[in-house]
Amino acid sequence: MQVRIDRDVCVGTGLCEATAPDLFEVGDDGVGHVLRADVPAELVDAAREAADNCPTRALAVS
Amino acid sequence: MTAVLPEADSIDLSDLEFWALPQAQREAAFAALRRDRPFGFFVEPEIAFLPAGPGYYAIVRHADVEAVSSQPKLFCSGEGATSIANLPVELNEFYGSMISMDDPRHAKIRRIVSKAFTPKMLEALVEDVEKITDKILADARTVAESGDGTFDLVKHVSSPLPLKVICQMMGIPEEDEALVLEQTNLILSGGDEEFIEDENKALELVLGAGQALAGVMERLAEERRTTPTADLTSALIRTEVDGETLSHQEIASFFILLCAAGNETTRTAISNGVYALHEFPEQKQRWVADPSLTKTAVEEIVRWASPVIWMRRTATQDTEVNGQPFKAGDKLIMFYNSANRDETVFKSPDVFDIGRDPNPHFGFGAPGPHFCLGAHLARREITVAFRKLFEQMPDLEVAGEPDRLRSSFINGIKRLPVRLNGRA
Repeated sequence: MQVRIDRDVCVGTGLCEATAPDLFEVGDDGVGHVLRADVPAELVDAAREAADNCPTRALAVS
Repeated sequence: MTAVLPEADSIDLSDLEFWALPQAQREAAFAALRRDRPFGFFVEPEIAFLPAGPGYYAIVRHADVEAVSSQPKLFCSGEGATSIANLPVELNEFYGSMISMDDPRHAKIRRIVSKAFTPKMLEALVEDVEKITDKILADARTVAESGDGTFDLVKHVSSPLPLKVICQMMGIPEEDEALVLEQTNLILSGGDEEFIEDENKALELVLGAGQALAGVMERLAEERRTTPTADLTSALIRTEVDGETLSHQEIASFFILLCAAGNETTRTAISNGVYALHEFPEQKQRWVADPSLTKTAVEEIVRWASPVIWMRRTATQDTEVNGQPFKAGDKLIMFYNSANRDETVFKSPDVFDIGRDPNPHFGFGAPGPHFCLGAHLARREITVAFRKLFEQMPDLEVAGEPDRLRSSFINGIKRLPVRLNGRA
């Protein structure tokens, strides 16, 4: 699984960071960053949850 | 809902007296609107010195609020998000800051501070929040013990906690805290006569409050320019957006927004939460006995309190929401309090249930770019407040009815008498 953040849409609410701190982090630029390009199996559910809960729909999993 | 619902057509959300009704009556009115008049059109409340506006649609169902909030291109914030009336442009920006802006400008401004409010950054702040809370509770106990055992929870606990935290984050010195509290109270008074006695003076008073806060900011900004620190005020004056630093007015309005939003909302959540635990004592026992319920309990407090009652959007083109047509320029008011009691989403919505899960409430706003910046901070503050209250004041009990703010915008409690009965 791969996750992407649309940096034009992201406003850095940090909800993804709250759900999966090992996968996401809001940077000094105020937008979310993906910490691991490939999502390990144990974080797949958390990645999906983060994508579903993103208020700006900036997160896509594929 | 056990009560018989009122006639939906008889409800007037623009009548300030409606907002003085007991909470249960207001909730019953919104239940009637959800069932019988889900896109009700209302005449705008009158505001002295502003021309009468065209009216607004009350969006009251969870699915409709979500549809409006999550389509910012169709329903914009730039015409005003916190005022039903169209304010003069300069006033709208001054009191709305990024709340009343649209992307891309909104996103660029917001990103200046978003990092400071993320879970990882706030970890460093938790210890401070705990220390602040310990001090506040010790002071409140002194008030109770030096008097008749009672104190005002709002004045001594739910106001100072978020106020001190946001002032610390902004770098506002302690001696200015009282001014920040007083002036943000005025800005968010919603016309409550305790704050604004003469409604003809409302605009003047609110403008004066903004200027007083801008004065605090100017002094701070001056200091930070020579000696930058890690606080938010330093970030505001330092950061460039599109190659330019923020204008003086943009910094002032951002500062006012953070001050106001950072203290009124969490105060309202804590006050309403304490009262909810009084109304549902079995929920308090359940929470005290099982601290693992804290996460869901905090969410339920935010759902129950719905501290910010509504935000406005304006249709940018002819469009529709779940089958209801709207014209370009139509004003839509998203009533989060009503979405949070929507019986099609929440089982037994009028029951306060600290274990409620899932709890897809809109207490921090609905999905969209304006989702509450301070959500993680508020959750931490509420968590610490209740944990410390249970630890240090297990004998705390509500000693009277809450004195509610008469406002359609903030579900505020002005005073809540509580007592330490010594029987923990």
